[in-house]
Amino acid sequence: MQKSRSTVLALTVLASLALGACGSEDSAKSATGADLVKKDTLTVCSDVPYPPFEDFDKSSDTGFKGFDVDIVSEVAKRLDLKLTIKDSSFDALQSGQALNAKQCDLVASAMTITDDRKKNLDFSDGYYDSKQSLLVPVDSKIASIADLKGVKVGVQQGTTGKTYTEENAKGAEVVTFPSDAEMFQALKAGQVEALLQDLPVNLDHTTDGQFKVVETYDTDEQYGLAIKKGNSQLVEDVDGALEEMHSDGTYDKIYDQYFSTEN
Amino acid sequence: MTRRQRALLVQVSLYVILVVAAVALVLVADWPTIRENFWNKDGVSWADGNWGDLITIGLVNTVKYTAIAFAGGLALGLLLALMRLSPVAPYRWLATAYIEFFRGLPALVVMIFMSTGLPIAFGWSPPGGTIGAGLIGLIMVAGAYMAETLRAGIQAVPKGQSEAARSLGMRPGATTVKVVLPQAFRIVIPPLTNEFVLLIKDTALLFLLGAAADQRELTSVARDFLSSGPSTGTATSLIQAALLYLIITLPLTQLVAWLERRQRKAVR
Repeated sequence: MQKSRSTVLALTVLASLALGACGSEDSAKSATGADLVKKDTLTVCSDVPYPPFEDFDKSSDTGFKGFDVDIVSEVAKRLDLKLTIKDSSFDALQSGQALNAKQCDLVASAMTITDDRKKNLDFSDGYYDSKQSLLVPVDSKIASIADLKGVKVGVQQGTTGKTYTEENAKGAEVVTFPSDAEMFQALKAGQVEALLQDLPVNLDHTTDGQFKVVETYDTDEQYGLAIKKGNSQLVEDVDGALEEMHSDGTYDKIYDQYFSTEN
Repeated sequence: MTRRQRALLVQVSLYVILVVAAVALVLVADWPTIRENFWNKDGVSWADGNWGDLITIGLVNTVKYTAIAFAGGLALGLLLALMRLSPVAPYRWLATAYIEFFRGLPALVVMIFMSTGLPIAFGWSPPGGTIGAGLIGLIMVAGAYMAETLRAGIQAVPKGQSEAARSLGMRPGATTVKVVLPQAFRIVIPPLTNEFVLLIKDTALLFLLGAAADQRELTSVARDFLSSGPSTGTATSLIQAALLYLIITLPLTQLVAWLERRQRKAVR
């Protein structure tokens, strides 16, 4: 009895080791041969909430809504894949760790295409022109980036907004937060006096009339969908889908739904 | 097969499994990739790697924040413990309510409440910005834990000690301060050191509240290196921070073990 049990145990351990060794090799493929984390599914990671790009929505199929969510839903549809969206932290996404750890195939998280990020990620074509902006309370004396000397400015960890602030708001006290949720709370609580981040997100905070956007900054930056380094087939597929959406008017329809009122 | 042979066989096969697993790990693992991700050489170089900020900003602030939270928690804990042992019932009720409430909450919730909830609701911010508010939150939670530790310590001092002091004519207050508390503190040194180690790790929660560049503690600095700096995109900075945490916590936990052994001996 005893003997056979330990033999079985030993065999089980060996077998599982052997399985584990080769298990990582066979990952799923899409119809075009692009690598996928899960069969027939486009798994997308996003740092939620970041309205209007991504937000929670219990009533939708994926559990999320927003500009990015609509874009990747359309991409998935055109690639004939199901869509799963996962919430992750932004610095794991922009550093490429989430993709390398095979948590997802694609990152759709209002992520600006930068040379730094290209070292660790591949990008689709840009799908949104991003502007930076400065958000302050309506009664604030801060009118421009020049007024930020000695002022606490909230920025988000690992974002281009943080880099822009560090380069252009000399003398400002840059306070880093993990995400927009904590940042906006801190602004409301008076822990910081201004937020410098992507325009649409700041605009979203102006809707209740307590905060205003005092400046916007053109940075010639675009958001891209990030894909694991080396998965060039998926980049090609996604670019193809984006191009189709531009030419048949789907992109404009989605865009107007979120941004047409801002001008 | 005799019982002894069987036992031997089991033992041998357990060793074989261990060896096979180790060999399999060495053969299967992609060592260059693992090293690149966990110990990226650009990040760990002494000249311009991560160590500078990790040590001069992260480690220094972590130690500083821990010391503040511990000192504050100890003062609050002592006050609460004395209230809990007070002959005046309302003090006992207050202290008990406080302890039960704050021991039942995650430290992070209290910290977020102090840094953003309180100012939004009452228009009053704790001093010291986000870090100050976070530390007050930590102190409030640590105080509740330490109060219970201190109370147990005070109650563990034999009753005869205070009776003897009182019969020598000492006043109740002096008895507590000069006779009971010194002995109680000796009893609670090991659990308090444990609490210190827990606080070192809890300072990492300050990350969520937001911190200026020179206010960041160890975890925040390490997280920053995930997205910028020489080891971007690798987990190197996390490993480095982990090592620095262990450098402080391991000697302390060893110290607790040694103190506990010594105390057992003293009791015997």
